[in-house]
Amino acid sequence: MSFPDDTDPFANLKSGAVPPPRAAAKTRALASARAAFEAEAKKSAAAPQGKSVGQRLTSIIQSLKGISIMDMRIPVGTAAIALLVLPLGWQLYSSTALTPTMQVAPQVGQNVEVAEAEADLDSEVPVSAPREEAPADASVAKTGTAAAPVALPPPAPEPMLAQESLDMAAPAQPTLGAAPMADSFAAPSGGMLSESEAEVMPAPQSTQPSGDEFSRFEEQRLKVAAEEPVSTFSLDVDTASYSYARRMLEDGYVPERDAVRIEELINYFPYDYPAAESADVPFQPTLMVYPTPWNKKTQILQIGIKGFEPDVADTRSNLVFLIDTSGSMDEADKLPLLKRAFGLLLDQLSSDDTVAIVTYAGSAGVALKPTAADSKAEIMAALDQLYAGGSTAGAEGIELAYRLAEDARIEGGTNRVILATDGDFNVGINDPEKLKDFIAEKRQSGVGLSVLGFGRGNLDDATMQALAQNGDGNASYIGSFAEAKKVLVEEIGGTLHTIARDVKVQVEFNPAVVAEYRLIGYETRHLNREDFNNDAVDAGDVGAGTTVTALYEITAVGSGGELVEPLRYGGTDSTGATEEIAFLKMRYKLPDSAVSQLIEQPVTAEVVYDDIADAGVDAQFAAAVAAFGQKLKSSTYGTSMSWDEVEDLAKAGRGADDGGYRAEFIRLVDMARLLKPDTHTDVCDFPASADDCD
Amino acid sequence: MHAELMGLTDAPPMDAEALTSALVLRAQKGDGTAFAELIEAQYDCIYRTAWRWCGRRDDAEDIAQEVCVKIGQGLARFDGRSAFSSWVYRITLNAVRDWQRAGARRVRHHDAFADVSPSEAEAEQEAVATACELWAAVRSLPEKQRDAVLLVYAEELSHAEAAAIMGIKEATVSFHVFEARKTLRGLL
Repeated sequence: MSFPDDTDPFANLKSGAVPPPRAAAKTRALASARAAFEAEAKKSAAAPQGKSVGQRLTSIIQSLKGISIMDMRIPVGTAAIALLVLPLGWQLYSSTALTPTMQVAPQVGQNVEVAEAEADLDSEVPVSAPREEAPADASVAKTGTAAAPVALPPPAPEPMLAQESLDMAAPAQPTLGAAPMADSFAAPSGGMLSESEAEVMPAPQSTQPSGDEFSRFEEQRLKVAAEEPVSTFSLDVDTASYSYARRMLEDGYVPERDAVRIEELINYFPYDYPAAESADVPFQPTLMVYPTPWNKKTQILQIGIKGFEPDVADTRSNLVFLIDTSGSMDEADKLPLLKRAFGLLLDQLSSDDTVAIVTYAGSAGVALKPTAADSKAEIMAALDQLYAGGSTAGAEGIELAYRLAEDARIEGGTNRVILATDGDFNVGINDPEKLKDFIAEKRQSGVGLSVLGFGRGNLDDATMQALAQNGDGNASYIGSFAEAKKVLVEEIGGTLHTIARDVKVQVEFNPAVVAEYRLIGYETRHLNREDFNNDAVDAGDVGAGTTVTALYEITAVGSGGELVEPLRYGGTDSTGATEEIAFLKMRYKLPDSAVSQLIEQPVTAEVVYDDIADAGVDAQFAAAVAAFGQKLKSSTYGTSMSWDEVEDLAKAGRGADDGGYRAEFIRLVDMARLLKPDTHTDVCDFPASADDCD
Repeated sequence: MHAELMGLTDAPPMDAEALTSALVLRAQKGDGTAFAELIEAQYDCIYRTAWRWCGRRDDAEDIAQEVCVKIGQGLARFDGRSAFSSWVYRITLNAVRDWQRAGARRVRHHDAFADVSPSEAEAEQEAVATACELWAAVRSLPEKQRDAVLLVYAEELSHAEAAAIMGIKEATVSFHVFEARKTLRGLL
């Protein structure tokens, strides 16, 4: 600068004396600052603490605030260009030949690998996958789960509909920012659900920013016994929904509506039903009718079964673990947890059992050929070598796993592939429908599939459920070591040894006694009436020692609790025995039989209790869990019960509680009360006051 | 023993900056006492800055109070990417600007009284008179130039620090100062 420094007029500025502030003004300023600070502290304490991973800083605006426009030229320009280029790029990527190339390339590589792996099966060399595509995909997996469902094309679009999905691509894009989750809900289950979407569903009242996907379902509606006396569903022994809901609540979020499947909450807990005596009739139903805690005018019909528990030593297992080693598994609660949990499992197995490990994604191939389960050192060494890294690039992992399972097949024993993943199902078959068909086909040949879900943020619950259901197995969510212990030690019998397959339940209500009924939960397990006697229709499987519970809320004729007006011209001329409330039929197949057996039992007045306390702790607890689930998902029914009442009921139903699960549930009710206070209940949730809402 | 000596010589007693950042951290965790201590330590500095920018004690006190409140409200969002003092400067400068813009109309009305009000100057000595003139001239500069000049000369910050506070580049600060000199040469 050429300006002469010696005549700098500004030099005098620093000597300028500043008149001191008045003491009163200072005191006032300090006091108001402290008040503001405390008000702010209170505000932030009241708000839920913590931030979800998906909710990190999404805008660059904040960091540029206060910067003059002069220096924003570059960011503004870049942003403008990015706005133009990104949608175009996406459009190109999703609608031109680019897409197939990207997907086919890894497959070709991995086809070769499978061949190699087969050849090297005996030499037991883990084949490492080509990892060129690793950085890009890995970064997608790491940077923000919120982006994940967008960036990774959801499993929804079926190639058959390629043309359609191409057309749909354009309208689908703008929803990127708006509500990517809501859109991906309906998708995995195909077209059927998207039609029912036309029915207006109340918006999820607290959408959580998790990247997890759940298939959307409608709540079971109330049915009029005179019009639709028969209710048919498949048993569900999964418990993933409870574990997931628990984790969300413990992290301080209310889980999404569709993440809460009430039957899975109820079935998470063991109940003390009498077990069957022999493997020939593997279970017998326990029936109870007791007053509904959330509605004085209705009753609950509880159907409980406990599977026969054979001596574990008598059964032999051939297990192939198909382990996801993509980069996203590299978190403390994923692959490392799996490794520790594995040790627990090995202790349950004997020298008659074999274990094999196949990995997919990252390092793909056979990590351990079928090995007797008592060579624990060898198995653990193979497991220790697994590392998570790289992209989730398919490989024919699943076919390889099934091939190993078939090679080491044990006749009359349990042959099962156990898929452990955090939500990436690129196991080699990209089309979810084909994958399901493949698993169903393998099930016919006697190899089942169970799924263990790990971690949070990427979990594709819908696919997990679908795969396990097709593989005659269950989907469990493992969020902690305690959970791993429950699934792999305490319930290992249920996980590994199926005692009855395709268990279907059909309840026929007597319209002379029951006016209306509603099945609680089991939305995703609905069967058509005619499916009951059709042995070809798949249904849930019951493992050794598993307890399964189903609840119906029933309204007796003339109780005054009916929500549906009786028909003016509807004559009720019931022919059945009037003392019977309902008639229960269950169909199941023995593990090695293709023909189903039938169990029939009437629900009579003998099993009716006037007070829920008389029905026993199991009844109280199951009802409390049902109420909890209904409240949590803002159900149309049963939300009138307060959290305190739910907690009291659960406490009354705690019983012996050996595993401490029920005590944990009570803590969870506490958590839910804080996160979703009773006052939050939308008045629109009550059908009676629906008029007030319009 | 030796190590202790070394430790003592290597780590001098907590300097003001470290003390401030410790207080900021504690206050961000919700510690009310730490915040009270912090804001008390900052008040004089804030007031001084406010006075230099607007030149009236009443206004400076009001601005300082507003800044204190803003710090109380916004401390949780202070992310430590810049120095705490820079952050406070930024808030102060913004508050001054808002104050002056909001007060533009008010000032117009008050100008008539300002001439007769004795608040500024019992200017007996020539030096004082010149200084007053200089301050008035600087305050009448365009915002950016005024901020740059005051930060660099009155607050005695480096161009880099001033640039960080103003959110512009260092060269731009120099440019503003240069422009201010040009403008002022006409005025003084």
